[in-house]
Amino acid sequence: MPTTADDHPAGTTNGPGRDPVVEAHGIYKTFPGVVANADVDLRLERGEVHALLGENGAGKSTLASVLTGLYQPDAGEIRLDGRPVVLRSPREALAHGIGMVHQHFKLVKRFTVAENVALGDRTQPILMSAPDVHRSVVELSERYGLPVRPDAVVGDLTVGEQQRVEIVKTLYRGVDVLLLDEPTSVLTPQETEALFDTVRAMAADGKAVVFISHKLHEVLSIADTITVMRDGGIAGNVDAADTSVRELAQLMVGREVMMEAPGGDGQAGEVVLELDDVSVDERSRRGRLDQLSMTVRAGEVVGIAGVSGNGQRPLAEVAAGLIEPDRGRVRVNGRDVTGRPRAARKAGLSYVPEDRIGTGLASSLSVAENLQLTRAHRPLLDRGRWSTDARRLMEEFDIRAPGPSTTTSSLSGGNIQKVLLARELAADPDVIVAASPTRGLDVGAIEFVRQLLAQRREQGCGVLLISEDLDEIRALSDRILVLYEGRIVHECAAEDSDVTELGLAMAGAGS
Amino acid sequence: MLGLERRSDVPAWIYVAVPVIAVLLALAVGAVFLVFTGHDPLTVYRVMIQASFASTFGFADTLVSATPLILTGLAALVSFRVKLWNIGAEGQLYIGAVCASGIALLIGESLPGWANILMMLAAGAFGGMLFILIPAIARAWLRTNEIITTLLLNSVALLFINWLIFGSRSFWRDPAAGQFPQGLRIPDEAYFPRWGATRVHLGLVIALLAVVAIWFVLNRTRFGFRMKILGDSESAARYAGVPVRLMVVAVLLLSGALAGLAGAADVGGFSRRLDPNSLAIGMGYAGIIVAALSRLNPGSVILVAIMLGGVRNAGTALQSLPERVPMEIAVMLEGAILLFALGSEVLVRYRIHWPWSKGPALDASPEEAEAT
Ligand SMILES: Nc1ncnc2c1ncn2[C@@H]1O[C@H](COP(=O)(O)OP(=O)(O)O)[C@@H](O)[C@H]1O
Ligand SMILES: [Mg+2]
Repeated sequence: MPTTADDHPAGTTNGPGRDPVVEAHGIYKTFPGVVANADVDLRLERGEVHALLGENGAGKSTLASVLTGLYQPDAGEIRLDGRPVVLRSPREALAHGIGMVHQHFKLVKRFTVAENVALGDRTQPILMSAPDVHRSVVELSERYGLPVRPDAVVGDLTVGEQQRVEIVKTLYRGVDVLLLDEPTSVLTPQETEALFDTVRAMAADGKAVVFISHKLHEVLSIADTITVMRDGGIAGNVDAADTSVRELAQLMVGREVMMEAPGGDGQAGEVVLELDDVSVDERSRRGRLDQLSMTVRAGEVVGIAGVSGNGQRPLAEVAAGLIEPDRGRVRVNGRDVTGRPRAARKAGLSYVPEDRIGTGLASSLSVAENLQLTRAHRPLLDRGRWSTDARRLMEEFDIRAPGPSTTTSSLSGGNIQKVLLARELAADPDVIVAASPTRGLDVGAIEFVRQLLAQRREQGCGVLLISEDLDEIRALSDRILVLYEGRIVHECAAEDSDVTELGLAMAGAGS
Repeated sequence: MLGLERRSDVPAWIYVAVPVIAVLLALAVGAVFLVFTGHDPLTVYRVMIQASFASTFGFADTLVSATPLILTGLAALVSFRVKLWNIGAEGQLYIGAVCASGIALLIGESLPGWANILMMLAAGAFGGMLFILIPAIARAWLRTNEIITTLLLNSVALLFINWLIFGSRSFWRDPAAGQFPQGLRIPDEAYFPRWGATRVHLGLVIALLAVVAIWFVLNRTRFGFRMKILGDSESAARYAGVPVRLMVVAVLLLSGALAGLAGAADVGGFSRRLDPNSLAIGMGYAGIIVAALSRLNPGSVILVAIMLGGVRNAGTALQSLPERVPMEIAVMLEGAILLFALGSEVLVRYRIHWPWSKGPALDASPEEAEAT
């Protein structure tokens, strides 16, 4: 059987040796119209945790993909232990001991953990030796603190567990260099802590770990070395020991940023949104709600914390009237709007859905059209007015687009979100339901979105903020509710919220 | 490495060049077949052009062939715009013809001609709608795949019209016809007016009006805006408060109505009776080609329909050549044009990156990009 390279028995590591293990020199990678990597140098050493920090679109994933053979660089060179190599595919990279856990997992849901681990390992005979694989999985998971059961079916696992499977999978192939692309974006604080322990254990074992993230705090707490990327290039390379959040943020964005939205003292007014004993039990909706009751008052931001899949989507959609709950009522400004999206809007609700493209916006339509998407229209359209409206909103919300007739999908992520917010805020709502409004945005855009929400709150608007980003919830909310399996399991004022307590509640271990 | 790259923006000339090249390539393939079957491709093509485009009467006949194609092209266009795949225009056209001829026969001479014609048009549209109603409802509420339902119903419709004329003593069949069954002629009053001495008939005007109307609906009405949203994403449509199920039904009904109109146009303007032999020549399927080649632009539908109409029209002329070129060459060309047009769609969206072109695949090299 042809093998691409020397075979690594499971779990083998080469002890700490010569540094650096991987070097990238002058990497260029372009996609049509985008320079994703421009003259990037990177140097990874054995035994270090090397963070790759940068805003979305900075080119982190591209660089990681180049290093793991998924993309071919247009120019530049990769060296392993000083020798130039060409990595033509992820398989070749693996053969050289370089593995990656992608942002989107590549597991076969119907297979067991062990089967997934063995999958693609060409050293396995056609009929794989199950006991061997099982043993290796158990061994690896104990050694690096990655609790997974080899015979569990992957489809039944939580996202955090699936991530562990991905890591075990690469370890099983004997990697010396492991790249983790935004690994914490799907984890609870506790799971994140556990991952950090694993990462440290791997580094202690002499592996080089590349930790990709756009979260400053995280990077500071796990990394030894931090390389900051901006616009496809390297913005700086610093030692974690002698840098600060402020410096990193500045390197990322290229200017000073203010991440805490100004919070006034909360004087909440009338109830503007009320969910009364709402239950949704539908599997296809990704999560359910279980007799949930809550209110949002004018001038207050209520943050919903929780791990995704615990009912965030049905909560947002029920609140917006888009789905009819199996029981319970929804009231906006006292008016019953249960299951009636247009009535909800008429009563003063705006909804910023989690899926901007494909739900909040029809991305093949123009900016002007998207700004009209949720408005009530007469049978004959007045398109002339649409473009004047669009020009005004583009100005007001600083939407950078060539013009109102530009196709929305051609805008950058931040500007796309601004189109959505501009439309929803221009309706002058009394209550805004915002689901992950800053997810995937770059620091500049995050700042802008947060300011907008805070400003509306000042003006007396109630905000229901649903986000997986605990930092964001804490920075913006007056009151925090933790959602777990469709129920509010914890409630506290934002000032006296405690990360550990919130994290425990998010994991279902709350008091 | 040989590869394809997505074009960031498509230059305007591509939209013209690609279909033209598709047609030329189709002609080249056709030429190969003609050579193998012992014909001179140049002569054949010259005859085709002369027959269809070079004389007034030839061109008039091309327009006659193009008339139903414009309508079936629009039928495909409106449904494809919202990613609904009605490929049952063929069957809807037959049923439209059944209804149109039926109403004309029922009315007889009891109404003035113009009223009869209006009733025929309405009945044609109604028949097309009726025939797509079940697939539409099944699609909207049960998510039944409309490709399959509409396609299967085409056979049902074909069997039905054949039965009406050849297999039964139905109301549509001419009782006087003995050995050779045929449809009963509609009253003279119900004939569509013709233009001068040509065979171009009122159907063409109706088809052109339909193009304008569809353009207006798509671009200037709430209904069209909703179609656009739904065509982009169903989830966005639901979010925007578009009544998705009703829209699905309405769009499919509109599509069926346009196909049914094409059936009415054949009855009133061309065969003047329910004539399976005149109807079952794939005008509904050709509409799919028309819609695809027009890139779902109502205006381009006219040009594409005339082009294909010309090819179809020339098929007949070919048979009068001394060496009797088979008429099927026209059908083959039509198919080849579709294949090349679909294939060249890749070239509209992507650019080929040849192995020997070096450097980064971008308009500007990184150095240049940096310098700006
Ligand atoms: N496969 C691709 N095709 C086209 N453009 C891409 C592709 N992958 C990434 N890009 C573009 O390259 C830039 C860098 O993206 P990426 O490396 O994913 O950034 P990050 O991981 O830092 O968020 C972005 O502008 C992105 O749109
Ligand atoms: Mg990324």
